[in-house]
Amino acid sequence: MTGRLPNESMIAMDETTISRGFRSKRQEQTPKNRLPPGQYVTTDFPVLSAGPTPQIKLGDWTFALQLGGSLLGKWNWAEFEALPQTTIKRDIHCVTKWSKLDTTWQGVTFDDLLKAVGLKEPPAFYIMAHCDGGYTTNVPVADLIGGKGMITTRYEGLPIPPAHGGPARLLVPHLYFWKSAKWIRRVRFMEKDQPGFWESFGYHNYGDPWKEQRYDGD
Amino acid sequence: MTENVSDLVLEGNAAVTLLQELFACDITVARTQCEACGSIEGVGSLRPYAAPMGAVLRCSHCDGILMRAAHTPHGRWLEMKGARYLRFQSSM
Amino acid sequence: MTATETAAQPVRRLEWQLAQVREIVVETYRVKSLLLHVANWRGHLSGQHLDIRLTAEDGYQAQRSYSIASPPEDELLTLTVERVDNGEVSPYLVDDLHVGDQFDLRGPIGGYFVWTAAMGGPLCLIAGGSGVVPLMAMLRHRERRDGHAPALLLCSSRSPEDVIYRAELDAMARRDPNLRVVNTLTRKQPDGWMGRRGRIDKALLAQECFPPEQSPKIFVCGSTPFVEDVSRFLVELGYDPLTIKTERFGPSGGQGP
Repeated sequence: MTGRLPNESMIAMDETTISRGFRSKRQEQTPKNRLPPGQYVTTDFPVLSAGPTPQIKLGDWTFALQLGGSLLGKWNWAEFEALPQTTIKRDIHCVTKWSKLDTTWQGVTFDDLLKAVGLKEPPAFYIMAHCDGGYTTNVPVADLIGGKGMITTRYEGLPIPPAHGGPARLLVPHLYFWKSAKWIRRVRFMEKDQPGFWESFGYHNYGDPWKEQRYDGD
Repeated sequence: MTENVSDLVLEGNAAVTLLQELFACDITVARTQCEACGSIEGVGSLRPYAAPMGAVLRCSHCDGILMRAAHTPHGRWLEMKGARYLRFQSSM
Repeated sequence: MTATETAAQPVRRLEWQLAQVREIVVETYRVKSLLLHVANWRGHLSGQHLDIRLTAEDGYQAQRSYSIASPPEDELLTLTVERVDNGEVSPYLVDDLHVGDQFDLRGPIGGYFVWTAAMGGPLCLIAGGSGVVPLMAMLRHRERRDGHAPALLLCSSRSPEDVIYRAELDAMARRDPNLRVVNTLTRKQPDGWMGRRGRIDKALLAQECFPPEQSPKIFVCGSTPFVEDVSRFLVELGYDPLTIKTERFGPSGGQGP
């Protein structure tokens, strides 16, 4: 990685004009070792979506685990809410450089999903998340088990708002937040890794913020 | 007030800029046909999403994706598989 | 070529140019207009926008898009900026910028959301909040061209203090019998306010806009939810979607103001 200016604009560096008195407001009061490289802390919760916000009725909602053509498990909303619930507090990091600290989420861990379908071991190495609206993202199973990944239904104690991915979103907070897929409906196990929506279009296949793996080629 | 903007940004224009950098002609007045539903509209009237990760331009009738564009430090990406064509009017 | 279509113009590769602030005008308690000198500015059409880029002394950069508020006839370029709380760029532009300051700018961008006097009318302009900026460029151009095209500006603002260009629009409408300006206030109305209240809804559009048979040229600008609602109402009222041009502020999927 060549020496890059913080928050360098995407455009080639030509002659730039220094604007008197302009400075970044972002690097204010954050413990330095808490933020991955290139990130700044926000108290907002920005919304970034690849499409319109789906309006989903809970009565129609289901969530499924699949392997190849077979269904490992499927739950409607009431059934899903009856699964063991876990609450966690984590920092989240968006590839567009904002980070939000100490966010609280509640839902069902990936480990509990596997238990619920009677599996002691995950049946494959990778998954693809499939969402309402067609969004997809791929995640190694190793990054979901051991409490690292959840299907969440509550943010800060309240149902996740639709714009933020409700009724349910995948949460994989140790990777860039585009992996925490909104409006998730299916997790499909894959023998071989395949790139999802952003991974096939310029973005890194794995997305570790601590290694600053933002883009394909990083 | 929107809870989620750090500044009001012309969303559609972030998408326009990403696309425009790749074309010699004004892309916003080009006409395009949605592969999914067949409707025809100006590129400027497609519904833009996904700034600042990239531009995802959707059909205003069926929400199908016509085009995607991204600009990363490693290059620019353009996908147009959801668009049957782009048609630029010639000047009179 | 129909009046709603424009020929594709070849565009020169977008390059950054130097902009210098020549004058600052206070529009409202949180909106200012910046009048800029850009040497070798190659002109623009009303409705287009440009990108500005601010660079701090440590090299930190931020970039934003703004609609051009001035008509092509003006010598200086005008941007009208609303200060957004917790914003990174707008508080600098509204609170800190002085006459004489400089930044980088490139454009004009976008030939789609554009109106020229040659396109004719009737002209139907619908603005949500600071969405009025590119529409003001159109009205200013119309006036400079001794515009006779009938025109309507329907403008939604939160309160009377938030109405941008209020005095100028009142004066324009007084001078010009072919221009109507209709304001609606969504949150706070002054005592004795006889004007419209509440958001722009289908009924207000049906009442105020030129009827579909007149094939008005329609431009809608504001937040994404505003633009989507207004466009949907217009289509339901029978306007041809191809005659409705839209420009959106803010991320899609966000909550409206």
